[in-house]
Amino acid sequence: MRLELFLMALAVGVATYAFRVLPTRMARRDLPEGGMLARFLASTGPAAIATLFTASVLPLVQQAGLPVPLVVGTLAVVAVFVWRRSVVLATLAGAGVYGGIFGLLGA
Amino acid sequence: MAADAFGEDILATLKGQGDGLRGLLAALPIALGYLPIAFSFGVAATRAGLSEAEAVMLSVVIYAGAAQFLALALVTSGASLVVSAITLIAMNLRHVLYGPALLKAAGARDMRTVWGWGFGLTDEVFGAALGHIARGGAFSERFMWGLGAGAYASWVVGTGLGAMAGGAALEGWPVLDAALGFMLPALFLALLLSILSRVQVPVIVVAVVVTVGVSLMASATMGILAGMVAGAVAGVLQR
Repeated sequence: MRLELFLMALAVGVATYAFRVLPTRMARRDLPEGGMLARFLASTGPAAIATLFTASVLPLVQQAGLPVPLVVGTLAVVAVFVWRRSVVLATLAGAGVYGGIFGLLGA
Repeated sequence: MAADAFGEDILATLKGQGDGLRGLLAALPIALGYLPIAFSFGVAATRAGLSEAEAVMLSVVIYAGAAQFLALALVTSGASLVVSAITLIAMNLRHVLYGPALLKAAGARDMRTVWGWGFGLTDEVFGAALGHIARGGAFSERFMWGLGAGAYASWVVGTGLGAMAGGAALEGWPVLDAALGFMLPALFLALLLSILSRVQVPVIVVAVVVTVGVSLMASATMGILAGMVAGAVAGVLQR
């Protein structure tokens, strides 16, 4: 194992750990209800997940416009989630449909 | 009285263990998503010239999927390790917001073991915990330990399996390769649907628009950071 690669991973790992833990420890004191920071934090979750979804889809769109597998796969995730209310089933269905359409179209 | 107190202690302990088990079960969707994604990472890492041990080490030590894929791109492009580390640290800065947002949603105060379960507060664990709370589930540290342990184990195991399979593992399986490539977006979308409410629609729209704009004009890392902050600011301004 290369020492320099391990040291880089360690630096990133320690920083990431600090990002995840230190603000959580500091946030133990009560935040004023309806305050700006409280509202900011309440909106962070949906904003973060929407951002990560967009960031993960963007390279697929940039490669091939709006490919059919992406559209159908996305619809499959939404449809299965509405039907079963299950994150795992929706995820697996979306990936399965995406791969299936990809194979059918010979993309 | 002493017997009653003893009984209550046992009940509390069992209840706590139940929380841990519930957390582990709640990790199942994440594990099913993580295994193939981590497998892809293991394959990509060995394809990029890393050894099996180095691939697994990245998953054990960094434990942040998007950053790990970016790490491969940076290392193989010849970027210095200092520049790579700074870039990856900046990319993971978004995690600063997760813990406080989660505690706010849970109305939780007494966090004695956050030093442990906080390590596993990834994008997906955060999303799953938030979804659990939004659906009326009870929040506890044992739940977070279970949730985090299941997700972490699947990530490390998936990476190891991918690294052992080797860089050419998916070359003869284009459909499987495509399906695995869509696993991460599908997981994020499902998590988003699980916490969706009418009041958050403007937050989501702003986050998406800003992410696309900044990603196209600057970089994907900047787009992620800007999208999150812009969406959260929109949430502050709308009420």
